Amino acid sequence: MREIELVIIGGGPAGLAAAVKAYELGLRDILIIERDIELGGILQQCIHDGFGLHRFGKQLSGSSYAQKFIDKVEEYNIPVYCNTMVIELTEDKKITAVSPQEGLLHIQAKSIILAMGCRERTRSQVRILGTRPAGVMTAGAVQRYINIEGWKTGNRAVILGSGDIGLIMARRMTLEGIFVEGVYEVMPNLGGLRRNKAQCLDDYNIPLHLATTVVSVHGKQRVDGVTVAKVGPDRMPIEGTERYIPCDLLVLSVGLIPENELSRNAGLELHPITKGPIVDTTMMSSVDGIFVAGNVGAVFDLVDYVSLTGEVAAQGALSYLRGQRTHSNSIEVIAGDNVSFIFPQNFYATKDHKDNEKATLYMRVKKTMKKVRLEVTCNGQIIATKKERFATPPEMLSIDIPVDKILDGQLKINVLE
Amino acid sequence: MDQESVKKSIAQILEEKFRPNNISFTLDDDGLICFEGSMQTWQAMVDFCHAVAKLPNIKHVVSHIKTPEKIYKEPVDKTPYLKLGIIDEVDVLIIGGGVIGCGVARELSKYDINILLVEKASDISEGTTKCNNGMIHSGYDTKPNSLKAKYGVKGNAMYSKWAEELGFHFNRTGSFVCGFNQEDADIIQGLYENGMKNQVPGIEIISGERAREIEPNINDKVIVALWTPTAGYVEPYEVALALAENAIENGTKILLNTEVFDVLQENGKVTGVLTNRGIIKTKVIINSAGLYADEIARMAKDEFYTIHPRRGTLGILDKENKGKLHTFVGKAPSNYTKGGGPQETPEGTLLIGPSAKEVADKEDLGVDRDDLGFILDKTMELTKNISPDSLITFFSGNRAATFEEDFIIEPSKKLKGFIHVAGIQSPGLASAPAISEEVMNLTIAELGHEVAEKVNYNANHVFTKPFRDCSNEEREQLIAQNPAYGKVICRCETVTEAEIINAIHGVIPATTMDAVKRRTRAGMGRCQSGFCGAKVLDLLSKELKINPAEVTLKGPNSEILTEQTRNFQRGDSL
Repeated sequence: MREIELVIIGGGPAGLAAAVKAYELGLRDILIIERDIELGGILQQCIHDGFGLHRFGKQLSGSSYAQKFIDKVEEYNIPVYCNTMVIELTEDKKITAVSPQEGLLHIQAKSIILAMGCRERTRSQVRILGTRPAGVMTAGAVQRYINIEGWKTGNRAVILGSGDIGLIMARRMTLEGIFVEGVYEVMPNLGGLRRNKAQCLDDYNIPLHLATTVVSVHGKQRVDGVTVAKVGPDRMPIEGTERYIPCDLLVLSVGLIPENELSRNAGLELHPITKGPIVDTTMMSSVDGIFVAGNVGAVFDLVDYVSLTGEVAAQGALSYLRGQRTHSNSIEVIAGDNVSFIFPQNFYATKDHKDNEKATLYMRVKKTMKKVRLEVTCNGQIIATKKERFATPPEMLSIDIPVDKILDGQLKINVLE
Repeated sequence: MDQESVKKSIAQILEEKFRPNNISFTLDDDGLICFEGSMQTWQAMVDFCHAVAKLPNIKHVVSHIKTPEKIYKEPVDKTPYLKLGIIDEVDVLIIGGGVIGCGVARELSKYDINILLVEKASDISEGTTKCNNGMIHSGYDTKPNSLKAKYGVKGNAMYSKWAEELGFHFNRTGSFVCGFNQEDADIIQGLYENGMKNQVPGIEIISGERAREIEPNINDKVIVALWTPTAGYVEPYEVALALAENAIENGTKILLNTEVFDVLQENGKVTGVLTNRGIIKTKVIINSAGLYADEIARMAKDEFYTIHPRRGTLGILDKENKGKLHTFVGKAPSNYTKGGGPQETPEGTLLIGPSAKEVADKEDLGVDRDDLGFILDKTMELTKNISPDSLITFFSGNRAATFEEDFIIEPSKKLKGFIHVAGIQSPGLASAPAISEEVMNLTIAELGHEVAEKVNYNANHVFTKPFRDCSNEEREQLIAQNPAYGKVICRCETVTEAEIINAIHGVIPATTMDAVKRRTRAGMGRCQSGFCGAKVLDLLSKELKINPAEVTLKGPNSEILTEQTRNFQRGDSL
């Protein structure tokens, strides 16, 4: 069995950033395992711009953003196995993977960073009723067909879900010559970033219907229409508001779920809201030496954050490998007023934190608010605050906290109006 | 037959419950009643015909009663197909590639005769079979002395041998009917007595505690249960595939995409069928057309039953639930079919349902709010520690029910060489081995001459072991032989490229996305083909040497792609 110091499972933005950072911190025995034929993950099909504003100060396409990291991986000669699928992961960090070139791989990793990303929710998970014809697809699948394969999957589309992928695909499909009848959103508010609504819907006169959902699909072989209906506060369709829309394509952008089958396999403790592993501020999971980066931990809306978590995980893995994880105290960060979840969920407290060292906490709020103040308290004392002009559930907030002072006591985050 | 008393009874049923109406009927000496006219709703028509079927001296009910829900098809113009002439000549022609048609084909393939099975869909199992929950009923609830009771209990016992010979997954896990109160306990007592009459092996009534000892996740509110240890589970499409492949291995021919438009006869004897491919001459016709058996019977001018589709919705939960249930957990019944509860399939996925709802259209495979609510609520009521949020997909199938609610397995009294195998609904899958054997015997009798058994008949069928079930040593060997085994296409179910290519070039080639799914499980998992769909489509296009735009989900008019916009050259992509 091969021994490797750090194995990164997944070569998307989180895994790439982790690999580059680990190398730059001096680690050489690294392996990236990627299931697709190339690195980059889902970014390779994201040919629209808007990536990397935080990190590179300019708007890049997804594939260009990924390429910046891929270039580094190549420059550093970090080993990569593409076309390779991890089929088993154990708590003691044994990896079984399979690839056409390498056959069956057995690896004993000293540390692991999980960076498998997330998958899209399907029509059944949002309980769309009716028949099961061809022409019902997730936004990601349509994006792959259009941008990677060069194929249209319909001529007249209805989009359910105003998350970023749904909005981006409304514009993309329009530019490809697919008529987009409208974007429907079950929630009373927009699901994605506001700038995406402006650039992808408003600029193309595509109507957005809030508090409205697709109730059922019609058609035996191919979709020939959908029924939409207004929903009440309970998100259930209101009788009498049904409307039939003829179309041959229903595109679903109804949420993402972190891919944690391997994590479950390895016995990692998962969080009920994020659906990802519970981690501390070094991105270490409940299993020693297994770290988490990017969307596998919690679904982010900006790739910049994903890359950052990868780097934090790399730093964490290195400390772990070098035996620098001393006696620590794991403190749960409590989601206070208006906060639905915080990621990482736990604070890694140690005396070894350097002066002025900071950790980033990410969170989603429960409702849309204007002019808010983020407030982190430790034992009731405010240790960090931040002002935001606007807070809404689809847009993740972040705050840096000083870590050198905290050793124990209760940590809590409130978002106050 | 006393025409007057039947007329009176029918008038009384109509008067009590079904007003207004506009119905007339004919009644023959064999107890066949045939209705014409119109009623206000499909459900009323079904209720009415069910009531009539229960009258003494009524043996069969045919309904031509029109209702507003039902869309009536234009008759097919046969002229162009007749012009295609005779395309084949066989001894036995089987109509329908469901589990019954495939089972009959396999049993008959023991004999030295020419057998052809025709199926109108693009794959076998495309009708009722694929939407079956896979339960091999023990037989406690069928009416004693009915054909359902006779073939159900017998067929159940025959499954062990079928599974051994044919290599399909079969778990004899046992099943429960759960009771929550005294009323349920009374029903369970009745079912127990019924099961005793049907000679169901090992049947007993047990306490809630004892039930939870066997199946820990049965809900704590269950106080009593009927336990039948002989019930089991199969993957129905796997059974049909094993049967069909074994039949082919023994010389049977199967023609897919072949629809029967007419039954041809001369002097009261079968001579052939007219299909969309032309005329096929045959000595014997087996009508195992499932939902369409009544229409085939009409073509044979021997229509003495009507199939009214009864829709059942099934749901599949994420594999994270594996191991939570082992047996079937049902509830005391309340309608014509008890509808199912949760169970674990041999593959280890938790399956819930089915529901039961009368629908007018045989192709109505929709799922509505009631169907879905019914199967979810029932699962929650009967079990614990199972979350409805783990539902990954749901779908419907239609049972081929007659108003008599029993099987029809008999040679035609009007047309020599025509055998009816109709009304095969629950417990049809359990009964399949016994029905197949019976129809085999009927067919030999109909042929009317000595038929030799094949010298080289091979009862055994072997499925290639799925990669996901292989040991690591076996996996290593497979990849060494064929690197395509090292390429995982479906990540949720761990299906490799080699397995998909093998399915596409299989004994019965998988030519659609759904056919690949049924053979390999690619796309059956939690992402529901979100990730692997494009890759499977690519493989189908390459292996079948067709344009990607010609690849379908489930046969003609279900193409996935509409138009190529760019011709990318990227690695091993499209």
